[in-house]
Amino acid sequence: MKGFKKLWLPLLASAMMLSACSGGGGGNAASSDPEKKEITIWAWDPNFNIAALNLAKEKYTADHPDVTINIVENAQADIVQKMNTGLNSGTTKGLPNVVLIEDYRAQNFLQAYPDAFRDMSDKIKGEDFADYKAGPTSLDGKQYGIPFDSGVTGLYIRTDYLEEAGYTVDDLMNTDWDTFIEVGKKIKEVTGKDMLTQDPNDLGILRLMLQSAGSWYLKEDGTTPNIAGNPAFKGALETYKALFDANIVKMNSDWSQFVAAFNNGDVASIPVGNWITPSVKAEASQSGKWAVVPTPKMKGVPESVNASNSGGSSWYVMNVDGQETAADFMASTFGSDKELYQQMLDEIGIIGTLKAASEGDAYDKADEFFGGQKVYADFAKWTTEVPNVNYGLHTYAIEDILSAELQNYLKGSKDVDAVMNDAQAQAEAQLK
Amino acid sequence: MKAYWRRFHAQRLFVKLFLVMVVSTVTVCVVTSLVTVRMSERLFTETFGITNSKVLYQIRTGMESFNDSVVNAASHAAQNGTIKTFLSGGESDSVRMAGTYFGMHQQMRQTKSNVDAYNVGVTAVGVNGRTYSTDRNYWPVPEDRLIDHSLAQRTEAEPKRLLYQYDEERGENGENISYIVASKALMERTTGFVYGKLYISIREDEFRRFYGNFTSAGNDVLILDGSGRIVSSNREELIGTVSKQLLDYAVPSEGNEEIVRRSADVFGRNSILLSSYIPEYDFYLVNLIDRNYAAGKVVNLRDLILVGGLIVGAALLLVFLITHRQTRSLTVLVRQMSTVTAKNFDNYVRVTESSGYEVQELSRAYNYMLDQLNDYIARLLETQKEQRNAELAALQRQINPHFLYNTLASIKILVQKGDKEAAAETINALISLLQNTISNVSETVTIEQELENMRNYVFINHARYGDRIRVNVFAAPDCMHYRVPKLIIQPFIENAFFHAFNEKPEGMIYVLVSQSEGKLICEVSDNGDGMDDAQEWTGTENGAALPNSKSKRQLFTGIGVRNVHNRITLLYGEDYGITIDSRKGEGTKVRIILPLITEEI
Repeated sequence: MKGFKKLWLPLLASAMMLSACSGGGGGNAASSDPEKKEITIWAWDPNFNIAALNLAKEKYTADHPDVTINIVENAQADIVQKMNTGLNSGTTKGLPNVVLIEDYRAQNFLQAYPDAFRDMSDKIKGEDFADYKAGPTSLDGKQYGIPFDSGVTGLYIRTDYLEEAGYTVDDLMNTDWDTFIEVGKKIKEVTGKDMLTQDPNDLGILRLMLQSAGSWYLKEDGTTPNIAGNPAFKGALETYKALFDANIVKMNSDWSQFVAAFNNGDVASIPVGNWITPSVKAEASQSGKWAVVPTPKMKGVPESVNASNSGGSSWYVMNVDGQETAADFMASTFGSDKELYQQMLDEIGIIGTLKAASEGDAYDKADEFFGGQKVYADFAKWTTEVPNVNYGLHTYAIEDILSAELQNYLKGSKDVDAVMNDAQAQAEAQLK
Repeated sequence: MKAYWRRFHAQRLFVKLFLVMVVSTVTVCVVTSLVTVRMSERLFTETFGITNSKVLYQIRTGMESFNDSVVNAASHAAQNGTIKTFLSGGESDSVRMAGTYFGMHQQMRQTKSNVDAYNVGVTAVGVNGRTYSTDRNYWPVPEDRLIDHSLAQRTEAEPKRLLYQYDEERGENGENISYIVASKALMERTTGFVYGKLYISIREDEFRRFYGNFTSAGNDVLILDGSGRIVSSNREELIGTVSKQLLDYAVPSEGNEEIVRRSADVFGRNSILLSSYIPEYDFYLVNLIDRNYAAGKVVNLRDLILVGGLIVGAALLLVFLITHRQTRSLTVLVRQMSTVTAKNFDNYVRVTESSGYEVQELSRAYNYMLDQLNDYIARLLETQKEQRNAELAALQRQINPHFLYNTLASIKILVQKGDKEAAAETINALISLLQNTISNVSETVTIEQELENMRNYVFINHARYGDRIRVNVFAAPDCMHYRVPKLIIQPFIENAFFHAFNEKPEGMIYVLVSQSEGKLICEVSDNGDGMDDAQEWTGTENGAALPNSKSKRQLFTGIGVRNVHNRITLLYGEDYGITIDSRKGEGTKVRIILPLITEEI
C-alpha cells in the first residue's frame, strides 16, 4: 500500500507534466455559408475608394444592423499579388468578399478565374452604368463587376500660368496635343515651369491618348497585340515623344512625387483622370488657380475625340462565404443608390459611373477651387463621350515591353515604326 | 473525561500507529511532490535553455540570410552607374531625364529583387536632392526630411559599413511605427565621394517574424543595438527603450562565447538570459525566459495539491480503516487475555473472523494453551488424588502384626482352656476378617459386608478382652446395599474400644447406619470417657481431635481420623466427611457422611 503510493506520486507528477505540455490545437473545418453576415472588403485608397466604402457601409448597416463589414486597406500592388497568389493556388481562403480591381486588370482575373467571382447579372444591369465600363466588368455576357468610379479624364490647367504666358483657358478648350505642347513651351519659356509631370515607367498618358481614339494595346479580342500598323498607336507615340522633345516634362518616380509636382506648383497642367481632383484640391493655397478643360485629342488621328479615360476601377464579389450578403450590399449601394453617389461626389469628389446618378445637385455645384467651374457636370458630360475599348488581358504586360522600347524611341535610337514593330514582336512572343 | 482517557488509553496502539502512518504518508507525499516539482522545474528550465540556444542559432540564421539579401541589394545599388547618375547627376532635358528616371526605376527594381523575399522598402537619397523609393507608404519619410534624416549622420560617418539602425516614423493615422533601417553610403570608390545613401527599411513587426514563432508568454526575444536600445521585441512596450542593464548582461563577459547564458533579474523578473552577438547587425539577440512563468506553466500547483491531497486522503482513510481493524482486534484480545487471573484459566478468547489472520492465530494458540494448561492441571489433580487415595487405602489395609499375634495368643489360651468351640469361632472370625481385609480386592463393599467385618472384629475383641464393652449395630435395611469404602467404619469402632473406656470399666458402642437427604450416615457413638473440654471437630480444622494412637493392640496402625476424613473428601468431595462430637464424661459421637453409592467403583 505504502509502496504503491511512493510509486504513484512521481508517476502522477509526470503524467501531469505530460498533460501540461500538450497544448490545445484544433482547427476549423471548412464550411460553406453564403449567408454569412460578416464580410470583408479590400480597397487601396483611404481618401478615395475606402472613403466611399465607409459611406456605403454606414448607409447599409443602418438598415442591416446584423451585417458586419470589415474594410481592409491594402496597397493596390498587394491586392493584385494576394489575389494572384490565392487564386493561383486554387483556394479562396484568405481572400475578401469584395475586392476593388482596376479596370485594366479586370479581364485578366475574370478570364483566368471566372468561378472565383460571383455573376452579378441577377442583381445589376450593365447598361445602368457608363458604356465603356461594360468591357472590363463583364465576360461572356455575364456582368461580374459593379462599376465604380469613372476614370474620365480632363486637362487640369493652372490658369495663372496660362495668363502669365498670355493664354486663356479658352485657348485650350477642345484642343489637341500639338496646341498643348505649344502652350507648354510658352509657359516654360515665361515661367520656367514645366507643362506636365511624368513617370517614364507609367504610360498612363499613352493609354489616355489611345482610348481617346478608341484604340488599345490589344485588339477587340483582348489578346492580340495591336501595336504595329496601328495608326492611333503611332499617333500616340509621336505625341508622347513630342512632349519630351519639347522639354516640358518634369520627371517623377512615384505617386508622391507626382502629387508633389503640382501641389508645389512645379507644373502647369495635369492631363489625367478625374480621380486626381481630391489631390489637387488638397493644396488649398492654389484655390481659384485651376481649371479643367476637355482632354486634348490627337491631331493626326481622326478617330481621336476630346474625351478619354484613365484608370477607374470596379467592385467584384468573390465566391467565398458570405457572397450573398456581399452581393446584396454591393447591389443596394454602389449598384443602385443614387443618393450614395451624390454623397460620394459631394464629400469625396468621386464621379461614379451609374448613369441614373450622373445628374443632380452635387453635379451642378460650382466649385470655387476651379474658379466657379461646374467641373463635375463637365466630367459627367465627358464620361458619356469616352470611346469604349476592350482593355483585354495584358495591359500592363505590354506596357512593360513598351516602356523600355519607348526609351529607345525617345533617345532617337529607333524610329517610331521600328519601336512599334519590335514591341509588337516582343508582345506576340511573350503573350503566346 | 476519565472514561474518555481510559478509552484513549486502550486505543493507544492504534493512535500511535495511525499517527505514524499519517505523518509518514503526508511527509512522503509532500517530499515526493516537492522533489518532483523541483526536478521538473529544473529540467524544464534546463531544456528550455538548451533548446533556446538552438533557437537563437536559428533566429541568427534567419537574420543573417536577411542581411545577405540586404548586402546584395546594397552592393547592387552601389555598383550601379544608372543609380549613381540618378542620385548625383544634374538636371537635363526631358528626354535625358526620362531615360534617367526610367533607368533608375529599372535598376531599383533589380536592387529590390534581392530583398523581395522580405517585405521591405528601398529608398535611395542622392546628393542632388533626388530621392527614389520603391514604396513611399512603407517607410513614410517625407522627401524633405530624407535628405538630412537622423540616420544619415552615422551612415556618412561610416561610409564603408552597412549599418542597422532603429527608426520611428509617424504612420498615416498618427501612430508611431518602429523600423529597423539598413543604411549604406553610396560612395565613389576611387575618390571616396559619397553621392547618395541607400536605406532598406523593414518594419519592426516584419522584422519580428525572424523570431516571432519562437516566442511565447514568459519566453521573450529582444534585440538590442550597441547602445542598449531595444530595436525589436515581441514585448512591444519595450521597443525603442534603452536598457543599459540588459546590455551589460547581453555583452559577453570574456572571450568570445557564442552564446551568453546568464541568470539575471531583468525588468523585475527572475529570468534566464541567453544572448548572442550578431556582428553583421551590431545587434545583440537576447532571449529572456521568465523562470517563474516558465516553471509555473509546467507545474500546475492547484492540480498538484488537489490530486496529492486526494491521494493522501484516500490513503489515510485506508490506513485508518485497516489499522483500526487490526488494532481493535488486538485490543479486544488483550482485554480478554488480561482477565485471566490467578488460578483461573477458563477465560477463553473469542476467535472472530473479522479480527484478521494474525490475531486469529494468536487467539487460537492462546486458547489451545489454556486448554492444555487446564487439562494438565486436571490430570495433575487427578493423579494427586489417586496417589493420596492409594496411600490412605494402603494405610488402611496395613494389618498390625501385633493384632494378629495378640489374637492368636488369645486363641491359644482358649485352646489351652479347652474351650474348643470358642477357639474355633474366634479363628473363623479372624479368617473372615483377614479374608475381607486382605483378599477382597474391590475398593468398596456393601454396608452389609462392612457390618459383617465389624462383627467379626468385635467378636475377636470380645474373645480377647471379655464383653465389658458391648457393641450394638442398628442398620436401616434400605441402606444395606449401599457401598462404602472398605474398612471405613471399623477404625472408629477400634478407636472406641481402646480409648473410650479407659476410665469407665464398661459401656456400650452404638453403630447406626441410615440415610438422610440423599446421604449415607454412619454413626459410631459410645458412652465412654469423652474428651477434654466439650468440642466438635468437623475435619476442616487442623489438628486431630481424636488420639492417633499406635497401640499394638489395634488392627490397624497409623490410621488417624484425619486420614479417613481426607480420604472421604478426596473420594467424594467436600460435602462428605467426618464430624466428631465429644464431651468429657459423656462419650464421643463420630458421624461419617458418605454418598449413596450402589455400584462398585
